[in-house]
Amino acid sequence: MQHERPTGPVPASALTLSDALSGEAVAGRPALDVAPRPAFNLREIGDDFVRGVWRENGVFKQMLGLCPALAVTTTAVNGMAMGLATLAVMVASSSSVSIIRNWIPGSVRIPSFIVIIATFVTVVDLFLNAFAHDVHKTLGLFIPLIVVNCIVLGRADAFAARRSLPRAIADALGVGVGFTLALIALGAVRELLGMGSVFGISLFGDAYPPFLLFLLPPGAFIALGLMLAGGTYLAALSARGN
Amino acid sequence: MVAALMAVCIAGAVVLAWSDRITSGPIAEQKRREVVRSLTAVLPPHNNAPDQDMSTVVLDDGTEQTLYLARMEGQWVGTAVPVTAPDGYSGNIDLMVGVDRNGRLTGVVVLSHAETPGLGDKMITDEEWLPAFRGRTLENARWAVKKDGGDFDQFTGATITPRAVVNAVRHALEVCEKVCR
Repeated sequence: MQHERPTGPVPASALTLSDALSGEAVAGRPALDVAPRPAFNLREIGDDFVRGVWRENGVFKQMLGLCPALAVTTTAVNGMAMGLATLAVMVASSSSVSIIRNWIPGSVRIPSFIVIIATFVTVVDLFLNAFAHDVHKTLGLFIPLIVVNCIVLGRADAFAARRSLPRAIADALGVGVGFTLALIALGAVRELLGMGSVFGISLFGDAYPPFLLFLLPPGAFIALGLMLAGGTYLAALSARGN
Repeated sequence: MVAALMAVCIAGAVVLAWSDRITSGPIAEQKRREVVRSLTAVLPPHNNAPDQDMSTVVLDDGTEQTLYLARMEGQWVGTAVPVTAPDGYSGNIDLMVGVDRNGRLTGVVVLSHAETPGLGDKMITDEEWLPAFRGRTLENARWAVKKDGGDFDQFTGATITPRAVVNAVRHALEVCEKVCR
């Protein structure tokens, strides 16, 4: 029971040298001690990273984690802060999950992951409060909600729980950066349409009449919808061009 | 199974205890600095440290109210009253209200709020709104927003926030009226 793989069988194609090496840990020793040699394939790691940033972007492609994505993106700065906080939690929790993946029985997998994620969210919350007090004042309400961001648990369970540490970190970084970029983009569009500024820099001067709808929750949905429609349109155009 | 879950929880507890030890000092310091900044902004000129010169009174309804006292050369010149408006548009609005010894408002600042950006948060971004409270007393103003027949502006599309703030400031004045004189 103790040394069972946490989740169902991994397709043979997904097993790599690093998986084989670090996956078969000697009982009682950390998996990585087994492989002092470079245990990862750089190309694969790069792909793990890039996939999360764009091809499988959490917000724009998978429509996950929309609660924080829509709630805090009233300005580009808010979006960036929320994205970076989530990124930090993802890297920490995915690495931890990858390190202990061979010791966690399948039956308590999800509770263990949630405890890990909640721990790191609280750590981020405390450190933001102590060292970035103004950011914490703006985002304070939403930081604890990172625990229930399905992207974080999703990557921990679907990826980190059956991959080596380097791959888990690359994936968490990729998905986290993708999430951050999505939130910055959404925040910038809403800030631009709502207040005529981006990152607090006014583009049209005082002449711009505030368009409040885009700062309110319904405006978040509308802005996201417009951005998705624009993206799909561009993709269709380029597909026809080829 | 139980052992694994317990191990994870214990490790989590250790990490949390460590983080708390590192951050509790800076967090307390940040909060203190915030209080000092707001006290300096709302109180009349003073040369003591009001954040250390505080007293607690029990109001008629049994709640405890903290008061910060400002002194000039040892003589009491004003009081700062931290109050909470529970009836904002979204969540509590925490305010610091400064009152001089004649019951005249010397300043109001917002400590924390979660009002709608662009609507309710005009109480902060509109640079003329909060200063308009200065010089008001319980007697020389009608304590309501204009829409309700009072003296204070509301914002287009946002009446709930100003109403909540006006009520909370009046409450602070009433506390002063009863306690300070």
